[in-house]
Amino acid sequence: MTGGKVDPGESEILNGMERNLLMNISIRMTSILMVLALFLVSCTKPHVENSGKTGGESIAVFTKNQTNPYFQTVRLGAENAARQMNAAVVQYIPTVSDSITEQLSEIEDAIIKRPGAVVFIPVNSKAMIPGIEKLNAAGIPVVNVTDRVLGGQIVSFMGCDETKLAVNTGRFLLQKMNGRGNVVILEGRGGSENSVNRVAGYRKALEEFPNVKLLASQPADFQRVQALQVTENLLQSYPQIDGILAANDSMALGAIEALDAARRKSLVVGINGTLEAIDAIKAGKLLATGDCDGFRHGCLGTMAAVRHLRNLPVPKEFIFSLTVIDSTNYAGMDVPYEQRMCPKWESIVKDK
Amino acid sequence: MSSVAWRLLGVLLLCVVLALSSSAFLTVGNLLNVLRQASLIFLIAAGLTFVILSAGLDLSIGANLGLSACLAAAAIKATGSISIGIAAGVACGTTIGILNGLLITTLRLPPFIAIYGMLWMVYGINYWAMAGNTIYGFPESFRVIGSGYFMGIPIPVLLMVLCLIVGSVFTRYTTWGHEIYAIGANPEVARLSGIPVRRRLIMVYTLSGAMSGLAGIVYLARLNSAEAGIGEPLLLPAIAAVLIGGTSLFGGVGSLSGALIGAVILTLVLNGMNLLTISGNWQPLITGVILLLAAGIDTVARKWNESRA
Repeated sequence: MTGGKVDPGESEILNGMERNLLMNISIRMTSILMVLALFLVSCTKPHVENSGKTGGESIAVFTKNQTNPYFQTVRLGAENAARQMNAAVVQYIPTVSDSITEQLSEIEDAIIKRPGAVVFIPVNSKAMIPGIEKLNAAGIPVVNVTDRVLGGQIVSFMGCDETKLAVNTGRFLLQKMNGRGNVVILEGRGGSENSVNRVAGYRKALEEFPNVKLLASQPADFQRVQALQVTENLLQSYPQIDGILAANDSMALGAIEALDAARRKSLVVGINGTLEAIDAIKAGKLLATGDCDGFRHGCLGTMAAVRHLRNLPVPKEFIFSLTVIDSTNYAGMDVPYEQRMCPKWESIVKDK
Repeated sequence: MSSVAWRLLGVLLLCVVLALSSSAFLTVGNLLNVLRQASLIFLIAAGLTFVILSAGLDLSIGANLGLSACLAAAAIKATGSISIGIAAGVACGTTIGILNGLLITTLRLPPFIAIYGMLWMVYGINYWAMAGNTIYGFPESFRVIGSGYFMGIPIPVLLMVLCLIVGSVFTRYTTWGHEIYAIGANPEVARLSGIPVRRRLIMVYTLSGAMSGLAGIVYLARLNSAEAGIGEPLLLPAIAAVLIGGTSLFGGVGSLSGALIGAVILTLVLNGMNLLTISGNWQPLITGVILLLAAGIDTVARKWNESRA
């Protein structure tokens, strides 16, 4: 940073941790430039990574896509846990985001490579049942995290109650509005269960506040660009919007950009607890984000898989605690995931 | 009436329907809002128009936009200089464009396959570099490119008008522009009549790449953040904007003003559905019906003209 041309508000946000992250990205970007300049671009399969440790159990981790930061935190959690327990992780990520066919063929690939166990986030809760059945038939144990698969045999499900997460987050916003005013909901992708559950949660929270009017509930596909445009459009038709309930952080941040450009003010909440959202909370732009901590999902899912292979007890179902992160409690949540450590199994999962 | 004129009529019809059903539609604020949203699609659709006029197809525009935006973001963060960031983004887009052109003309690969390969390589590089992270928080002086105004008009809209004028003059009044049409209509005839087909093809893909890079900068400034997947949802709307505007996928026929009309129609559909707060369950269906109507008006008009003749 030369500092001179960056306005002071921005550089203040750049703490040491973030600078590290940026340095990382910058180094990688520079190397891209060099590669481009040399016209020597080689195609690699970016999504199969081995954490390097050998000798331990091999755990195959399935996530939905390479673009959503949430799944990156799950992957980092899984790798951290594997390192702690001296196991190895192989990541399976569809190159086409959320592709059902690709995840199914990745399951087939994994069965050939015979990992000790699988940590699994389905791209679709119903469509992935045949995949789980294939893993069952191959005798590979499955720990299901984040989104529940609605069939097949699993060792354990570890996830959170998405509806409750949205109820808590929505309630927090509505209380801050003193239970009065106009709100809009930004929905996720049509047909996505996360979107359906979170929107249901927001609507449930709204039922507790009869003096709050829901002006509109519109889809923005979990995407920042769409959320920006949908919010711009809604700002045109509603002169007074007091609160915006977004079904994820990307959409909440897109909405904030639209509000800023239109010089309008609303309280905005999102869901996922991403680093960017926490920085927006620090900057006073975002009110809160509902968090179920993907990092812990990756950690505990991988730990459960390894524990199962080592014949240690694993609960059949574990529901994570929820936090609504706001300006009062973000401390400790703003550390880059690369530098976080998985919590101890015993500190989270209490024997019943 | 020309094809563009019929489509313009379609846009006006859509506007009349929206103005009658929502009082918020026909305001200066909302119309500028629609134009600003359309400008983002137009910037990539404009570059793509050149390629489609030459009977090619550039599938890498979304991936290119993503990498250019991320590279520009990293450059601004690393150096603190906005101009270096903009230069890096546009250079990245242009380089990918040149590579596309070379792949197609030198290796003689079918454009679809060459660029499909390129698309995955660009995504792959960007996914690897960003590793799921987001770069965000840029200086106000950079963000004006996306959200600022000049004399009451949004800056992206001014950029759009500038590109439209320069691009239209280029295609309509310069030899190079005419040659693009000729290559699209019949590459063999073009070659025999002495047009340097290879060089012109490299030129159109370079233009498309450069426009993707520029669009990446505007997106970055508008969203105040860059993530690897930023361009993914833009590929199909950009192609749709070009084709709805009457440019033929088989080359040789079409115009930049058509791409503008296409971009405006796509934007109006979303704007209208939001203003009328149509339920998300119905939005895809309604989008499909309106797009078919908008694109079909030209065919219907032509049939009607023929039957009267």
